[in-house]
Amino acid sequence: MARRISGKNFITLAVVLMVIWLLPLLLSSLWVKVVTSAVIFSLAATGVSILFAQLGLINLSQVALIGVGGWVLLRLNYATGLPFTVSLLAGGIVAAIIGAVFALPAVRMRGLYLALVTLMAAGALQILFNAFQFPNGGEGFWGVAQQSAGDVRRPFLAQTDGAYLRYVMLVVAICFTIVGMHRFAAPGRAWAMIRQSEANAMAAGVNVTFYKTWAFALSGFLAGISGGLLAGALQQLDARTFVAGDSILLFALSIVGGAYHWLGAIIAGLLFKLLPALFNDFGISADLTLVIFGIALLHAIITAPKGISGQILAGISSLAARRRVSRD
Amino acid sequence: MKKIPDILSALALVTGAMLLPAVPAVADGHSDLSCGLNTGKAATGEPIKVGGINGNAPPGDFSGGTDAAAAYFDCVNANGGINGRPIQYIVENDQWNPELAGQVGTKLVKDEGVVALVGNGSVVSMAVNAKLYADEGVMAMASACAISDCYENANIVSTNQGPLPSGIGALKFAIEELGSKHAACIGFNIPNNGGWACDWMNKYMESKGLQGSSILMDPTAVDLNSIYLQALAEGVDTILLMLPAGPAIGLLKVAEEQGGRDQFKWVSPTPIYEPGVGNVLGDYWSGHLYVNIELAQYDSDGPDNKNWIAVTKKYGKDGDRLDTFSQSGFISAKFFTDALLKLDPAKIDRASVSEAIKQIVNVESDLLCGPYYVGDADRHMPNHAGRMVLYKDGGFETVRDCYDIDTSYLDPIRAQEKALGVTQ
Repeated sequence: MARRISGKNFITLAVVLMVIWLLPLLLSSLWVKVVTSAVIFSLAATGVSILFAQLGLINLSQVALIGVGGWVLLRLNYATGLPFTVSLLAGGIVAAIIGAVFALPAVRMRGLYLALVTLMAAGALQILFNAFQFPNGGEGFWGVAQQSAGDVRRPFLAQTDGAYLRYVMLVVAICFTIVGMHRFAAPGRAWAMIRQSEANAMAAGVNVTFYKTWAFALSGFLAGISGGLLAGALQQLDARTFVAGDSILLFALSIVGGAYHWLGAIIAGLLFKLLPALFNDFGISADLTLVIFGIALLHAIITAPKGISGQILAGISSLAARRRVSRD
Repeated sequence: MKKIPDILSALALVTGAMLLPAVPAVADGHSDLSCGLNTGKAATGEPIKVGGINGNAPPGDFSGGTDAAAAYFDCVNANGGINGRPIQYIVENDQWNPELAGQVGTKLVKDEGVVALVGNGSVVSMAVNAKLYADEGVMAMASACAISDCYENANIVSTNQGPLPSGIGALKFAIEELGSKHAACIGFNIPNNGGWACDWMNKYMESKGLQGSSILMDPTAVDLNSIYLQALAEGVDTILLMLPAGPAIGLLKVAEEQGGRDQFKWVSPTPIYEPGVGNVLGDYWSGHLYVNIELAQYDSDGPDNKNWIAVTKKYGKDGDRLDTFSQSGFISAKFFTDALLKLDPAKIDRASVSEAIKQIVNVESDLLCGPYYVGDADRHMPNHAGRMVLYKDGGFETVRDCYDIDTSYLDPIRAQEKALGVTQ
């Protein structure tokens, strides 16, 4: 293990840290904000990818769970003096619990039926968000007052937008690592068996219900963390940000980006937030991105089942192989 | 089943109202046109960057303020600019999206380095960007604000009244002239917009020993039929349309379909007041819809109103809305320009401009009922006296001229006015 950390992984870690440090220095203020959102939604896309790539399950409630994480962070921000990171974790845990509850139908359903059930759950959460709104410093359980929103605390070392982007990238890198560890540990092996055949997995002693629930909880946790990070970025949340239909878009972009590698989640986040911002900046209607996303989804389904990230990684592998051959 | 046709009809009505010819009849050419230095020569110096953010997307269009400000600044630039320096006016649309509002606010304030923002009109932008403006020391002279943040921050001053004074003004008239006892405030379920304004409506009704009820709807799924039925179920005698023009007209159409005109007294704050609305509402509502207007009548004879029409006609774009928010954007831009003209053009930067804006006190316009002021305060609401008009024969008829409102919300504002020597 120690040998692996000191080798390839050490270089990866160094590159990641360098990107985290440099990126806010290279971007203008507008793009710091846009990239922050894109990175946050990359994390949420990872949650979608886990369920699809590891278990073949379609979860269309991810954006609603982002809202849950954001709601918890805002509520704790106004009700307590807890540090941002603690509130962030609490938001992740609550979203994980709700995600695990969503797993109950997943034990018996797959495919379109599960997708519909999760979409309906997202719709229910959307109605709750609209009816009760997000905490803004008011009294009572819902914490909503008919007034302007109060201040949202950010981490001590991440007060500026640039520093907050670094914090977000660090949190997302840690979460990617956690997901990676799952893939190569017992849950990953169990998920692989379940994906092949639930009956065989059960026969092999895999607790199917537990591992499915665990996957949904992990996916929910990532969404909840995303929501907390989004609340810190925007300093407030609005029910209109968490419409159920956006979960379908996030799922589609996760497929376009590639569900089988963390790079795919980053591409999904960039497509989800960076491309519309680019269009807006060029004075083109951001709605046109939906047309592009539709074409990209068709392309992914027909020719690139591993998404853009799969194509990029295959290209790199091919290039490396050619270089090895030419060296030999 | 009725929901989709209602939404479509509301959107169609708004679109129709926007496309209708809207230049009021009093415009008689360009003889009333007056901008800045009035030199007739284009400014060629180093541009002064000024920003503006509007919210133009379903369910409402708040671009009137920035459109009018853009027209006025073009006119100023063609007439000597700010002592030779043209204003480069950069307008962004937040599309009612808080995330986008934050992005475009940051772009204007940090990346473009605007010296101020003028003409802003949005339901989300001010809430998202109020802290940014304070942190960066930039002032926003807004024109079509509809949320509490516009009136409760040191760096934001809006020329329009917003839903609170305009709505209370409408209710005051309804109580005194129409005998209202129980009013329903219909607004969006947004805490600092419909929630805030309707909450103060209810307090106002209670302060008069009367009853108020809030009926708040989801702005992402506007179901006007159910809102109308809810108002019926509440047993109210008055409906206050605390909504942007589109949904407000949609609700009136629902009431028309159900023969509900005479079941309630109908009052509205200013958004519904614009020249083209008669073509949408038709005769059914003639004599039955009262609107509180935050600025002067769009066809009034005052010099600033005539100038607004002349400037918009010559420098505006086809399709620019000529409503209260447009008047507000025009007069905000004029006050801003007048303040900048007092500065040394070589020393115009964000700090000097912010200070110049804060120095604006006791300036007058026929578009406003009282003097306009900014001052150095933790909140601003210079415009809180309006007029009442009645929709009649496709147009509007003034039924009460300038009058102020009485609400405890204005207590800190009145204290400021006293300190600044402003008498409304």
